[in-house]
Amino acid sequence: MIQTFTQTIIKKFKADPFFWLLFPLLLYIVVIAIYPLFFSFRISLFDYRLTDPNQTQTFVGLENYIRAFKDPTVLISLENTLIYVAGTVTVELLLGLGLALLFSPETKLAQFVRSFLLIPMALPPLVVGLIWKSLYNADFGVIPYYLKQLGLDVGRGPLGELSTAMPAVMLIDVWQWTPLLMIIFLAGLKSLPQEPYEAAYVDGSSRWQSFIYLTLPLMKPTFLIAFLLRTVQSFKVFDTIYATTAGGPGQVTTVLNYHIYTVGLTFFDMGYASALANILLVMVTVLSIVYILVMTRRQL
Amino acid sequence: MYKKRSILEKTILIILSLLAIAFFLIPIYWLLTTSLKFGRDSFAIPPTWLFFDATLKNFTGVLAQSKTFMYIKNSIIITSGTTFLSLILGVPAGYAIARSKFRFVKNSAYFFLLLLMLPPVAMLIPFYLIMRDLSLIGTYMSLILLNTVFDAAFVVWMMRSYFADVPLEMEEAALVDGASHFSAFIKVALPLSVPGIIASALYTIIYSWNDFLFALMLTSPTTKTIPLGILASFSSVEISWGKMAVMSIFAIIPAVLISLFLNRYFVQGLTAGATKG
Amino acid sequence: MQKKSIKVTFYLLLAFALLLGVAGCAPQAAPAAEEPAAEEPAAPVVEKNKFEGVELTLASMTDQYVTAFRVLVPRFTEETGIKITLDELGYVDLYQKLTADFVGKTAQYDLMTVDIVWSGEYAANLYTLPLDDFMARDEADLNLDDIMPVAWTLGEYEGKHWAYPMAGYANVLNYRKDVFEAAGIEPPKTQEELLAAAQQLTEGEQYGIALLGAKGSAVAQDYMAFVQQHGGSILDADGKVALNTPENAEILEFFGELFKYAPPGSTDYWWDQRETAFRSGIVAMMEGWSIARAGYENPEISSVVGLADVTAAPVSEGMEPKYGFGGWGIGINASSTQLKQEAAWEFIKWLASEEIQKEWVKNDGAPIRRSTLTDPELVAMYPWFPLMLESFEKGDGDYRPRIPEYSIIQDALGTYVNAFLVGQETAESALQKAQEQVEANTK
Repeated sequence: MIQTFTQTIIKKFKADPFFWLLFPLLLYIVVIAIYPLFFSFRISLFDYRLTDPNQTQTFVGLENYIRAFKDPTVLISLENTLIYVAGTVTVELLLGLGLALLFSPETKLAQFVRSFLLIPMALPPLVVGLIWKSLYNADFGVIPYYLKQLGLDVGRGPLGELSTAMPAVMLIDVWQWTPLLMIIFLAGLKSLPQEPYEAAYVDGSSRWQSFIYLTLPLMKPTFLIAFLLRTVQSFKVFDTIYATTAGGPGQVTTVLNYHIYTVGLTFFDMGYASALANILLVMVTVLSIVYILVMTRRQL
Repeated sequence: MYKKRSILEKTILIILSLLAIAFFLIPIYWLLTTSLKFGRDSFAIPPTWLFFDATLKNFTGVLAQSKTFMYIKNSIIITSGTTFLSLILGVPAGYAIARSKFRFVKNSAYFFLLLLMLPPVAMLIPFYLIMRDLSLIGTYMSLILLNTVFDAAFVVWMMRSYFADVPLEMEEAALVDGASHFSAFIKVALPLSVPGIIASALYTIIYSWNDFLFALMLTSPTTKTIPLGILASFSSVEISWGKMAVMSIFAIIPAVLISLFLNRYFVQGLTAGATKG
Repeated sequence: MQKKSIKVTFYLLLAFALLLGVAGCAPQAAPAAEEPAAEEPAAPVVEKNKFEGVELTLASMTDQYVTAFRVLVPRFTEETGIKITLDELGYVDLYQKLTADFVGKTAQYDLMTVDIVWSGEYAANLYTLPLDDFMARDEADLNLDDIMPVAWTLGEYEGKHWAYPMAGYANVLNYRKDVFEAAGIEPPKTQEELLAAAQQLTEGEQYGIALLGAKGSAVAQDYMAFVQQHGGSILDADGKVALNTPENAEILEFFGELFKYAPPGSTDYWWDQRETAFRSGIVAMMEGWSIARAGYENPEISSVVGLADVTAAPVSEGMEPKYGFGGWGIGINASSTQLKQEAAWEFIKWLASEEIQKEWVKNDGAPIRRSTLTDPELVAMYPWFPLMLESFEKGDGDYRPRIPEYSIIQDALGTYVNAFLVGQETAESALQKAQEQVEANTK
């Protein structure tokens, strides 16, 4: 059956002169990406620890998945991931829109500033994490120093306090990715039609009114795209956590990616790590499908 | 067309702009100055921003190590390999998706988009095991192959929207003159889409240059890249923020150059990928 | 799993992909071909010296002794023709990279610095080569009796030697002479006095003691050091992991009490930050490894030149003095080729020899031999050596259990002791959760 299915597909493709331009990449992806993912699913059904000298693999069915739902760290890291994603995306959207409005005039200065604001998002996240870690250092860092000057009690420092560690890590993300949203919103603002604004102006509406009643509704699609794009990217966070808190203090900044990394690539408990990775994979895939559906609908 | 902003409004806007600039640029400025400071000064209280004992010791120290050049060389090899492979695979695919009339081919764009969103760690674990079984860990190839999965998917996505904007007439004229689809692609569509290709290349360069997690698992002592070199400048007893800063400066050079001098392409790429459905 | 069929499928698919247009990548991927494969062909054995041309890779922690490696490795190459590439890694990365190398049998590293606490795990999993055959063969040259007995814990596990002693550290108390004099008190002799002194010396921007609090190996190891100094143990009488005992909870409370007199950022301190705190002069005391001592007299990195002194690490009231011993062994990868293993042993033998040990210590290495610790020239340079000798003689290398499960224990303690310090858990619940995590991850 699979054979006839492939045959029909091949027949169809042969009719399409463009197919052969797509084919190499498709094949590459199947070999390098899809095959490992199947492999990963397979491993997740085994008790497979690389640290075991005999490297035995015992079939355990869904036990790794059951273990995941019982693992307190998984629940905590899942919660942390959601907080992280929700927090960073919200702040970045608002701040990005603000920046876009601030720097949208086509003056020389605005253009100049815009090109500088591109730097953060192009930096290696690892370096970004290290820079902020030292800025945050409770005893020698720049940020706590000025906070203390302002008379604030910084306690164990932004990364050391339970209540501030997560916001502090999120601020790093905000620093790095808000400029991206600014760029997207700038493009969105530029593509807005002029006519409604002229009509509103004639009707005597203020700048503020036309922002609320025209710009915001017209920007909704751009907003939605930006929201989904950042949500999906935000789920990927790893490097900055690795460089700053290693998931601490306690477990307040342990995100799912970091937990998977610890289980899989420091303890080499591959079966369990694969199960965790697959759970994350399903979550992100569902989100991505929503993203894609939204985008296709917009195109219609 | 609206009435002029009042002076108060203008002042507020200027203050806000300055705050935004300060927020985004101070950390980078801090990195640059740290690279020029002595170890004991990098944590001086109160912090010194403008007047400190400047030294090039960190730079000479880092450059005196032959390792530094090895890291840079490895980063360049892996980045150029990934970029080349991603473009070779991604650009034609993007073209095919933009031009094909078949639903399956067209919709494969979303498949690549989905791929772009995979959590890297989910790919890395099985890929690591396979590379291990093939004894390919520590080779440039293993990193190039894995980076290309994500980067090529990105190239497809960007090039697809780019080619969609390239007018069809010239290609059709070429086809009428008896050219094949392939030569219409090479001779007509490609030259017209050079800016898009540049933008895609910039992205793959930045992504693969910045990659840390994959490199952490897939490199050997001789194929380590710059981000791993940065980690090595930390020791349990040495205060080496200066050296870290110098290595980091090497790590950010492409990003800064691209942001400042090629930002036209860069922005084009971003908005093409994100705002065009 | 049938690795072979996976391999074959993969290669087939890859070859197929390459045939169909992916071939364009070939020139780019070519450098990979030049990479040393897992098993290099053995160097020709025609030369007079059978190791001529052998190339080894040494993975070293970026601890103080890495400076000594930088100096001594070229010298070794000159003398023997064996080329050694030094790869320097931080503590966490080193452990992770080495484990990956061992489990993958990729033999990227032939020689590695092995933390004392890893020896059990390495032995149980056969990661490193037991050195006993080499040691028996070359016993005449090794002068084994000169090596401090406690130094053998750096690599010995269940009767075999999985790493050779390389750098011995004593847990000592560093303190500021000037601060203690100004306060008119003596350096603490017991843990109780330590706490009292920390309290008394904390005033304004001056803190009593610097501790390791960062989530991960740092806080776990510092806590275990205090467990040892209080006469406790994280294993029960049968050698089973027992973190959640009332005694350990009490010691954890004590540990938390000390943090009140530590700089506020301490719960984020890794080794380097603890050192920074002491060197910058904001703390009066710091327990730590003896190896860092020389650095306090270097004006380029230290603001406390001439002000620091060192004494034995205090133990709990009434306890027979026993000092935490730690440090590093050097091991040989069990997956390396035989020729490389032999060449690696040559290096170890050379490094551990009395003559080279002197150079090693002069270049910021750490001693393992009695002859080094009592060498008049070295004692003149490092006046704290007699104290180290005493600490070594009463040293306890097993306060951090060198068992195969060590890393899992360390990870659990690293998370939950930190959680206790920042107020997320009580001492009891922290240890309870740590115990549960250890049990869940060891079957």
